[in-house]
Amino acid sequence: MDALEKSFPDRAALIAHVKSLSPGYDDELVSDMEGGRAAAEAALAQIDPIAYGRNRNYLDGAVTRLSPYIRHGILSLNEVRNHALQMGEGKAIEKFIQELGWRDFWQRIYAQKPDWIWADIEDYKTGFAADDYADALADDIAHGETDSAAMNHFITELKTTGYLHNHARMYLAAYIVHWRRIKWQSGAAFFLNHLLDGDPASNNLSFQWVASTFANKPYFFNLDNLQKFAGMQAPCDYHSNKCFAGTYDDVAMRLFPNIEAL
Amino acid sequence: MRQLIWLHEDCLRASHNLFDHAPEAQAVFIWDDKHMNTMHFGLKRRVFIYESLCQLPVEIYAGDTATSLAQLAQEVQGIVTGKTPNPALREIMATLREKKKLSVIADVPFVQMDSPPDLRRFFKYWNKAKKHAFSYDGRP
Repeated sequence: MDALEKSFPDRAALIAHVKSLSPGYDDELVSDMEGGRAAAEAALAQIDPIAYGRNRNYLDGAVTRLSPYIRHGILSLNEVRNHALQMGEGKAIEKFIQELGWRDFWQRIYAQKPDWIWADIEDYKTGFAADDYADALADDIAHGETDSAAMNHFITELKTTGYLHNHARMYLAAYIVHWRRIKWQSGAAFFLNHLLDGDPASNNLSFQWVASTFANKPYFFNLDNLQKFAGMQAPCDYHSNKCFAGTYDDVAMRLFPNIEAL
Repeated sequence: MRQLIWLHEDCLRASHNLFDHAPEAQAVFIWDDKHMNTMHFGLKRRVFIYESLCQLPVEIYAGDTATSLAQLAQEVQGIVTGKTPNPALREIMATLREKKKLSVIADVPFVQMDSPPDLRRFFKYWNKAKKHAFSYDGRP
């Protein structure tokens, strides 16, 4: 057997080589985010776990973008934790350490319950049965041409960069499952195809949490919440995002008309 | 004892302790298009993985993973690889075990649990895990 080439004059040549090995994928975009240990260590040196604890839910918050490196074992959870412990202690870094715990939690479920990754763990708590949800992702979602400018922004970012802030993932996942009533499995496969950090456990079980098949109630949001956390990064004006407008009760009545209250 | 290291997509790190178990062994990664399709890996991910491999002491071969590894391991006595929860990779490991001694090495754990946690909800896990999650562990 002949080993494949590992030395390239530049990144474009490496990308061309990978395209030649990837029939059917050669028209997809490539992320600017580089693989490898050197890029991982550079990203690790930039983290601010204390600021992360304060503002992680905002799309311009101090998130680390370490997830693709952790997903593929390029960085271990242990060394990321050790690095954070050198930058703070106790409550100041609790949310950051807890986020590493989420990764460990999902991986433990994956090992113990691999059947949970693609099957509904529990029933939907939305007033709908699984059969009420469409099987396939709609074309306008796949192409970023929905009736929401904010969702189109997130879809374009996902397909272009291979990365989305966790809150943007939750918004987009909820939009797919609850506003469009599409099975979470279709949304999960779409995310896995584009995310650099897409992991069957973290991704799919988070989708199940949003859908309510691995939670006590569905996750959804309204326009006020979207504007608060994403307003500076995505087009969140009322006129191009009308489907999210209203109080939480208003939105819940529109999305889940078969149940009285959440 | 001559061995072969099989790096897969969940252990792309030269400091992973699987290398300590076979310090002289040749490491290989199998570029398996069918497996990557099963995993929903698009072009972005494939480039990311290939870039990562270029920085590792590993040879890359194209082909079906189990078939290629069986061929590459003909002259060695055992295969060493990283532990993973991925059932597709574990199935390949089961196939390899029928022909060769296979050593599956776990990464350094994030936390050591005294007893198995309840995995139905995160905070049941976290209430146990947080006792150890803030402890420094000097291993890579």
